[in-house]
Amino acid sequence: MKNKALIVALSEFTTLVRSKGFLVGLVLMPVFMAIAFGMQRFTRNATDVNDRIFVVVDRSGALFGPLKAAADDWNRATVPAAGDAQTQPRYFPTEATFDSGDDEARARLSDRVKRGEIFAFVEIPADALNPDTKSTVSYHSNHPGYRPLPSWIATALNREIVSQRFRTASIDRAVVVRLTRRVEVSELGLLARDSSGAVKPAARVDRVRTTAIPIGIMMIILFSVVSSAPQLLNSVIEEKMSRISEVLIGSVTPYQLMMGKLIGSAGVSVLLAAIYMAGGVATARHFGYGDAISAGDLAWVLVFLPLAVIMFGSIFITIGAACSDLKDAQGMMTPAMLVLMLPWMTVFAVINAPDSPVSVALSLFPTNAPFLMLLRIGIAPGPPLWQIAIAVVLAAATTFALVYAAGKILRTGLLMQGKAATLGEMWKWVRAD
Amino acid sequence: MSHAIRLTDVTKRFNGVTAVEELTLAVPDGSIYGFIGPNGSGKTTTLRMIMHILLPDHGTIEVLGSADTAAARDRVSYLPEERGLYKKMPVRRLLRYYGQLKGRTIAELDPAIDEWLARLGMQGWDGKKVEALSKGMSQKVQLVAAVISKPSLLILDEPFSGLDPVNAEALKDGVLEMRRRGTTVVFSTHDMATAEKMCDRIFMIFRGRKVLDGTLDEIQSVYGVDTVRVRTAGGASILAEMPDVKVTNDYGQMQEVQLTADPQRFLQQLVGRTAVYHFEVTRPSLHDIFVRIARPPEVIDGRLQP
Repeated sequence: MKNKALIVALSEFTTLVRSKGFLVGLVLMPVFMAIAFGMQRFTRNATDVNDRIFVVVDRSGALFGPLKAAADDWNRATVPAAGDAQTQPRYFPTEATFDSGDDEARARLSDRVKRGEIFAFVEIPADALNPDTKSTVSYHSNHPGYRPLPSWIATALNREIVSQRFRTASIDRAVVVRLTRRVEVSELGLLARDSSGAVKPAARVDRVRTTAIPIGIMMIILFSVVSSAPQLLNSVIEEKMSRISEVLIGSVTPYQLMMGKLIGSAGVSVLLAAIYMAGGVATARHFGYGDAISAGDLAWVLVFLPLAVIMFGSIFITIGAACSDLKDAQGMMTPAMLVLMLPWMTVFAVINAPDSPVSVALSLFPTNAPFLMLLRIGIAPGPPLWQIAIAVVLAAATTFALVYAAGKILRTGLLMQGKAATLGEMWKWVRAD
Repeated sequence: MSHAIRLTDVTKRFNGVTAVEELTLAVPDGSIYGFIGPNGSGKTTTLRMIMHILLPDHGTIEVLGSADTAAARDRVSYLPEERGLYKKMPVRRLLRYYGQLKGRTIAELDPAIDEWLARLGMQGWDGKKVEALSKGMSQKVQLVAAVISKPSLLILDEPFSGLDPVNAEALKDGVLEMRRRGTTVVFSTHDMATAEKMCDRIFMIFRGRKVLDGTLDEIQSVYGVDTVRVRTAGGASILAEMPDVKVTNDYGQMQEVQLTADPQRFLQQLVGRTAVYHFEVTRPSLHDIFVRIARPPEVIDGRLQP
């Protein structure tokens, strides 16, 4: 006779894998990533290309002309090749004059901006060319979020101001540029020897290899857990609301039922992760990163993924057992989802400084460990083994405790109808014999 | 006589409220045993304790000869009141799942599924999802789920509630077939007529305590021959003025009267007051007995009446 927990697991697995939700989840992640990638490319080219007419008040008397010339150069450069779309706006500076104390003139220009006649107006102070003063160019616009025009003005003006200062000081700017040219620092890995003992050249540090792939692996685990663990809550709620739980508890113990659900859910997560990993490895190979995903990385996935699914599965089973309908469950689910999403919220802090005390603490925290420790393992040189060991032990102990508590809560909560249980009540259930 | 279920001094409380109190009960092997009682009287709690879904606070429960009711789990099937089915699951997959949880293999289950679906007029429905079934069909599927594991004890909670006569008949035939095959059947019901017709023994629980337990004859004999059914020209209004009338159930065309005196004397008095078309001395029905026990006491002038 088959173990009853395995019968439950098989049923859960089959039900989840055959559900529309699974199929949607399966295609959702690649579709989501494709959309994100496509949107990035689309938005990179989809800039606002309306002409930008702006007024320049040049009190230095020496900068409007060069600025106008720079704008003409820019506008010529923005003319697209035949068949291509324009990707940058054209700039049209027009000159105006008024005294620096004339706020009425500024107000009139502001009104023109509001009416859309001009996009902005710029005031260049009289001492803009004086290197010994800290003068400031003022840029007025009602589009504070629009950066391209003020950035372009700042670049064009500064290039001209610096050139004029060099000329005033009788210094050849071309010489200065040549002498102050930056020396780039190239980031490389360590040298290694091949099997014959010959030294292999160091490889250039590749952001895809060092950052994108570890994040990708972590995301696969996170997405697999997010796709399967919350389903357990729905499953328990359905069984409670439909009185299926009474039939089940007449055949299996609550512990067998829970373990069956957890094993089934873990199976779904492993299947999802395996599909995504296979896709990821194939994609990595296609782009020449086949060696970036090691067997060791995959082995750690097999350690952390079941821990994560069972840990969060127990939490969601507990919530399902404590509530009698989905409405109650939604409220209790929010904190659990926040805990589940915490690794994603802190991923960049860990990427930027994987060995910082904060990163170490975050990756040792049991609910984060399956995700963030895996991320750190993917970032060379990786955490010391003792940290990985502690993370595994803490996560396993927490999982064990949560499974134990969930079993106790399920035993009582499964037959409970009416209002959702409070934390105090759940604690009593856990402590009950 | 051996017993499928034996409860001894069983008590169950929830948050200080006593749901079942010192209940002692013995269900003979191979019998059909009816549990009756008003809503909230403790029927479902008792059934759940027998199923090991709940544990008693006090007392012992023996199921199929084992004091560890969990050990008998695979030989006991339970059909809860309504629902109890996964809506999105196809019928055969659901039945296989429930059967496997009772320790049966698919090879054992499939012929039983086919047989029972055919018996209940549901051939061809095994591939449909439960959500596509009517209430009557769902109830039949529940019964099939409960019987395909060939249980020694079948526990049904309100199996006939809300069913049309045709489906109720089909379910009744299924229950009787199980009894013919040697299964002990326990079911709870609010339908007194069904209990009267189907049950070998009837048990009534009221406010957590056993108030009736026996065959219909035994129960009725306790309540004596104090009931008459009458049809008169005067109707219920005449009866209201009559002495010796304790309780009148007015059915419109006919009245059922519980008497405090000899029926013959009552007949003489009645003939003197109105034309009598029908007069039948009868034993109280299970319905009457139920109502007598469970009816809330009347309050007259601020005093509870017995």
